[in-house]
Amino acid sequence: MKNLKKDYFNPFFSHIYVEKSVRNHARTQKILAKFPSARIIEIGHYKDVFCRSRQNLRLQHHSQKLILAARQGTLLYEGAPVCQRFGNEHFYYTSCAMNCVFDCEYCYLKGMYPSANIVVFVNLEDIFAEAERILEHHSLYLCVSYDTDLLALEPLIGYVQEWCDFASRHDHLTIEIRTKCASKTFVQHATPLPNVIYAYTISPQAVIEAFEHHTASLADRLSCAAGLMHAGCPVRLCFDPMIYMPGWKQHYQEMMDQVLCTIDVDKMLDISIGTFRISQDYLKNMRKQEPDSAVIWFPFQKDDGYCHYPDSLMEEMECFLTGQFSEKIGREKIFRWNV
Amino acid sequence: MVYIFTALYCEAQIFIRQFNLTKNLENTWFQEFQNEEAHIRLTVTGVGEIAAAAAVSSICSMYRPSQTDLLLNVGICAHTDKKDGIFLCNEIIEQATGKTFYPDMLYRHNFCEGTIVTGMLPWNSKKDTSNDLHHAKTDTHVGNLHDMEAAAVYQAGIHFFAPHQMNFLKIVSDNGNAAAVSREQAALLMETCQDSILDYITRIAALTQKNASRKSEPSVDEEQLFETFCADLHCSRAMRDSMKQYIRYLALSGMDYTGMIRELYEKKLLPCKDKKEGKQRFEEFKKRLF
Repeated sequence: MKNLKKDYFNPFFSHIYVEKSVRNHARTQKILAKFPSARIIEIGHYKDVFCRSRQNLRLQHHSQKLILAARQGTLLYEGAPVCQRFGNEHFYYTSCAMNCVFDCEYCYLKGMYPSANIVVFVNLEDIFAEAERILEHHSLYLCVSYDTDLLALEPLIGYVQEWCDFASRHDHLTIEIRTKCASKTFVQHATPLPNVIYAYTISPQAVIEAFEHHTASLADRLSCAAGLMHAGCPVRLCFDPMIYMPGWKQHYQEMMDQVLCTIDVDKMLDISIGTFRISQDYLKNMRKQEPDSAVIWFPFQKDDGYCHYPDSLMEEMECFLTGQFSEKIGREKIFRWNV
Repeated sequence: MVYIFTALYCEAQIFIRQFNLTKNLENTWFQEFQNEEAHIRLTVTGVGEIAAAAAVSSICSMYRPSQTDLLLNVGICAHTDKKDGIFLCNEIIEQATGKTFYPDMLYRHNFCEGTIVTGMLPWNSKKDTSNDLHHAKTDTHVGNLHDMEAAAVYQAGIHFFAPHQMNFLKIVSDNGNAAAVSREQAALLMETCQDSILDYITRIAALTQKNASRKSEPSVDEEQLFETFCADLHCSRAMRDSMKQYIRYLALSGMDYTGMIRELYEKKLLPCKDKKEGKQRFEEFKKRLF
């Protein structure tokens, strides 16, 4: 995952900070057992480490630390207006982990969180209980991998499997697992469930190489998506965010060709299409952290506290992909975030 | 620049000698030594939290450290169990308040790591209460370091440095009987550790410098071209800011924006005769980009 690390940085998860209250939690023990050489530092509250001022996220990404904590307060959140709802009325997301092992330059997490270290909340049972409480009133569409990439963390924490087990017991719950990870092991052992949606973020290889550091290649993502579809899992392809770069049309065309070669589009659950957009406040934080990143220094258009590509460019990019897919799949399977 | 803070002169001697530091006679508040060429500025803070915080604040307010700089708090300390060793602190507890601070541990090193408790008085193993504090926090006993400055240096330093820029290196001198450690013994102890400390400073300073440097700072020529371009477009303040944003994006994307601007001059589209024409040219320039 981080095998290209320059050797002067401490290794990934060299230090694990553990909230004292969860030191003896079974999940804590299970996770710590995977890092026998890590230095364990007990802490009072995860924010003592995670929310320190003036942290340098760019450098921390070279040597991410793990923080094990208990989630308190709100456990499930209603989806933000810029999130695609896929026609679901009761659309929620949850953060059972915060931050990501991947290092995408445009990721909103870099604007939202003050640290690049990864927090894993070990009290998953409390989040399950909250989901069950909501399910008593109505059905629930829950994104469980929004503020992290759970599938990328799966070998370390096993949360995707736990969520799948939970979903298998609750018919009115649908979960979405969003990822840029291509774990062939997971695909080989995945049990298909109608209410567990695997959502792959798909980008042109040029975008992956330029901005989505440490993530799986386009070919590997598509191969895993195809594998899960073949196994009978609902799979969504997310062309969201579409990222502008010089020559974008050619890059996205090449990506489309590769998608159509690898994926049986008739078997796809649906697709989402949306160009990059972000809260103005997050963008400000990101620009402070990443003074050399072209993707976030784009001269965006600002509307109602959100930054996005100029209207004409946004329309052109989204229509380009929508048009391509319209010829292959029904319109009802194409979700554009701003339409 | 590496900002070194020691409590005592005897802890500073190895750096003064090794880096040929000279006393800054203009600073009459603290003993300050520097070598601009070696990028080292050392301050002897005096003993205790208040003295340390005052010195860090004073020096940092005066010199305004940047992202490429480094803070190093180095000196002798007590240890509950061990009799010697150099420790890099990954956790700093202020005894008086129970507050805990965590420097970032980004880089590899050859030292032991440990928790340090900063107290108002030298730690006395016979009258120990500080360990109770750490036990209460952790329920473990792995042994603690004890000093009188680290927590204060962190708290004052965090106003000027990021957590990864602050390093706390402590050399164990005793097991809770500080009075028995003479200045000569302290200086000798520092001397025995000097090679590994100096090696660490040199390495970490170079890394901090390297990792903080921007890849794409505009050159003087590029900045001059930008100024001329804006002037010839009769840019308002808002237009200038907007243009700066475009230029920054083009530069980061590796696009030849200087060529684009020069082309406008070659085609005699610049300079513009007035603001109106400048605005029109600016819109054309933007349209060409995307």
